[in-house]
Amino acid sequence: MNAVTDFLRQVVEGLGSGAVYASLALALVLIHRFTGIVNLAQGELAMLSTYVAWQLVASGMPFWLALPVTLVVSFAGGMLVERIVIRPVQGAPELTVVIVTVGLFIFVNAMAGLIWSFTVKDFPQPFPDGGIEMAGVRVDWSTLGIIGVVAVVMGLLYLLFQHTSVGLVMRAVACNPSSARLSGIRVGRVLMLGWGLAATVGALSGVLVAPVLFLEPNMMGGVLIYAFAAATLGGFDSPVGAVVGGLFVGVAETLTGAYVDVIGADLKVGVPLVIILAVLLVRPQGLFGRAAVERA
Amino acid sequence: MSEPTTDRTEATPGAEPDFLTVRGLHAGYGQARVLQGLDFRVARGEVCAILGPNGAGKTTTLRALCGMVRGRGSVTLNGTELLGRSPEQTARIGVAHVPEGRGTFNDLTVEENLRVGAHLRTGPRRRGRAERAAVAADLERIHDYFPRLRQRSRQAAGSLSGGEQQMLAIGRALMLRPSLLLLDEPSLGLAPLVTRELFEIIRAVNEEEGTTVVVVEQNAQLALGIAHRAHVLEAGRLVLSGPAAQIREDGQVAEVYLGVSVRSRKAG
Amino acid sequence: MSTITAALGSDRARRLRAALTGLLAAAAAVGAPFYFAPFQVFQLTMVLLYAVALAGLNLLVGFGGQISLGHGAFFAAGAYTAAVMLDRYDTGHLATLPVAAAGCFVLGLGFGVPALRLRGLYLALVTLSFAVFLPPLLKRLQSVTGGSMGLTVDKLEPPAWSGLAEDQWMYFAVLAVTAVVLLLARNLLRSRVGRALLAVRDNESAAEVMGVRLSLHKTLAFAWSAMFAGVAGCLYTWVIGFVSPDSFSFVLSITLLAGLVVGGLASLYGPLLGAAFVMYVPSVSQDVSEAAPGVVFGLLIIAVMFAAPTGLAGLPGRVRGALARRATRAATLDRTPGAPSAPGANPKSLAEPGPAAVLTPAEPAAVDADPVGAPPRTEKE
Repeated sequence: MNAVTDFLRQVVEGLGSGAVYASLALALVLIHRFTGIVNLAQGELAMLSTYVAWQLVASGMPFWLALPVTLVVSFAGGMLVERIVIRPVQGAPELTVVIVTVGLFIFVNAMAGLIWSFTVKDFPQPFPDGGIEMAGVRVDWSTLGIIGVVAVVMGLLYLLFQHTSVGLVMRAVACNPSSARLSGIRVGRVLMLGWGLAATVGALSGVLVAPVLFLEPNMMGGVLIYAFAAATLGGFDSPVGAVVGGLFVGVAETLTGAYVDVIGADLKVGVPLVIILAVLLVRPQGLFGRAAVERA
Repeated sequence: MSEPTTDRTEATPGAEPDFLTVRGLHAGYGQARVLQGLDFRVARGEVCAILGPNGAGKTTTLRALCGMVRGRGSVTLNGTELLGRSPEQTARIGVAHVPEGRGTFNDLTVEENLRVGAHLRTGPRRRGRAERAAVAADLERIHDYFPRLRQRSRQAAGSLSGGEQQMLAIGRALMLRPSLLLLDEPSLGLAPLVTRELFEIIRAVNEEEGTTVVVVEQNAQLALGIAHRAHVLEAGRLVLSGPAAQIREDGQVAEVYLGVSVRSRKAG
Repeated sequence: MSTITAALGSDRARRLRAALTGLLAAAAAVGAPFYFAPFQVFQLTMVLLYAVALAGLNLLVGFGGQISLGHGAFFAAGAYTAAVMLDRYDTGHLATLPVAAAGCFVLGLGFGVPALRLRGLYLALVTLSFAVFLPPLLKRLQSVTGGSMGLTVDKLEPPAWSGLAEDQWMYFAVLAVTAVVLLLARNLLRSRVGRALLAVRDNESAAEVMGVRLSLHKTLAFAWSAMFAGVAGCLYTWVIGFVSPDSFSFVLSITLLAGLVVGGLASLYGPLLGAAFVMYVPSVSQDVSEAAPGVVFGLLIIAVMFAAPTGLAGLPGRVRGALARRATRAATLDRTPGAPSAPGANPKSLAEPGPAAVLTPAEPAAVDADPVGAPPRTEKE
């Protein structure tokens, strides 16, 4: 295998993990647009969803049925979280809300450990082994599958937001909640919907990454950092930015791990840290974010 | 000087039906008591102007009517109590409030802004062809009132000029097909020419749609030009009420409105 | 500011009472190691050193209004500084303390630079990423840090003249450092730096207009805060005698924040209470299950944020406040609420707040600020 095809193979692999980061980053961005905060517990909620999927598969359900069921459960779970945990602190200072999400993080993590124990579980690989050769580059089915599933969900989200009246109302609430209220929109319900959608998109990242990382309560900690980097790079206001940022972070991570010997596989988690710092110092609003009103 | 004002209020009871009735309205923020008991009525199809100096409670009055601020007393619209309802509920009853500072959805296009206004009629449960046609007709109607909005239909609302945003905000409110339109300082920050155009449109809307309008204004002359009745507010109380034409000619307005009248404040 | 002056109050009786309480607390602190069993003394020692870290975090979060999810990393930096010095250079314990403190202060300055450009949210992301990154880095730097095996170093040994057991000696050493550090934190907060921090937290733009040098104070706050965490880490090495990358995973950072929140943000003795939680909640609930501490901590954090944002340390004040409010409410209810107040009220002072001020209330956070026009609430809240 020559250097070019090897490089391309790394890029495609990077896009595969990037798609996972993109979906968690998208979840973060959705919540940020609706609630104005970063939900630090987003990764843990995704991990919980992944356990739901695992439980369903372990009880005999085929994966491709378990996945939609999991997504529906996650949607409902996200709405519940908004209603029970976040609504009571709506309007409180940002610090309060962020700390509540830290509490949620710890609680969800521990509950997963309590229910399913902290031992590592094998998660079924939904895509067939092997792969195909494209232009001399070998691409695994699993990589293609991840990219495909994420692309389909992104497309559905785009349709929802741009071409349905529910999507229009959701965008209106994200843009100006008080005016939305004056137009008769039940903002509370829309916020619940937003959290539900975010939990669904986040769940996708957990389920897709679990066969690679193996399932355990702390599985999403690292992924969350990559998703932070993706959202920071794309801009916390921009869903498109989250996707582009996720893919970029995935490719950057894979290439750094493969070609920079000093970094290697173990220090790859430094890549998102560097990306976050660099973006914040050079272009704090991110690539696609608006030059937001500086609050600091 | 203040006694005749109350006489005038008493002298012109609404021969028309009471559409909006405000009785003993108190409201405020935290420790600040802004409204100290307002009583007034607005007949159906009327334009009512609320005038007064800064901090008199004009904006608070509108906010209490639409539910943005909690109020005490009684406010009924066509017999339905409005107090104790949230803004989203009053909007569903037919109150459309165009807040100070316009409150457009800046990320959305002009047309999307207007569609948000109509969302109560196009919600998930009602998406029949008839409804969609009605919304399209409403859009057309609003474009007729505000031709500028038609030109900018696909543009983001945030890129509009101040006057256009104000028009968009009013247009969105009209998409609700409100029975009561509340306008808070529509002239704020607009050039005089734009303001005059805007008030002409408001007058046209009122005449053609029969929408009842309560408008709060700093610019008394403009507001009195389109209003049927007017109330002057000072320190959370009505100090003067009457037909707009009469108030316009009354020299007292200038005194009260400019805040130089020591006499009326003492009597207040 | 007025509360601080009130607390300093010239009232002699109050001073006397404060002095007495302080004396009692000191006596209890000194007597404790002679009363409790060695293991319990060890636990108390851990509480004290966690309190140092929490006091540092409190400077940043409670008083600075910024959020760090990476203080475990500074804790680790302090611990490793001490361990490496003891392991490689055999410097003796005392010498490690100033080096760990200074090193973490500088590290904090380095992180304070981004902090001055960023909103709290981004600082949280940066610090969390750092906390996640540090353990693998420590494993990588094997030649210095001992890799994933960690480093085993001498614990603090009691000198022969003291006649104290090891646990007692360590307790007193940590107690001395903790006392100095907590006093330092207190004085820091009462100094210009502290007042500037509070001003920045409460209203950043107003403070800036008034000439508070925002960037400087935010950076310094972060540096001080990191230094405290580093000192705590150094003490940890003294007491445990062993460091490894896995002792300082990002869970530690989150636990520290949790302890602070439960103990009480922006309170002087909140860190002590929080440290007790960090120490005892796991040791008590771990018997139930490995996950139990997390469940308890998670629920506690959320409950504290819902019900008592000032944490445990703030509870007495809140109860007093609630009782006082009850009393005044009962008094005001006697007056007829509908009666118009004096007409002399100056309309200018009742300026209508902007839209931002109006849209936040009605939520629980603003429960106290009931619009006056609202019907008198007869039910309990």
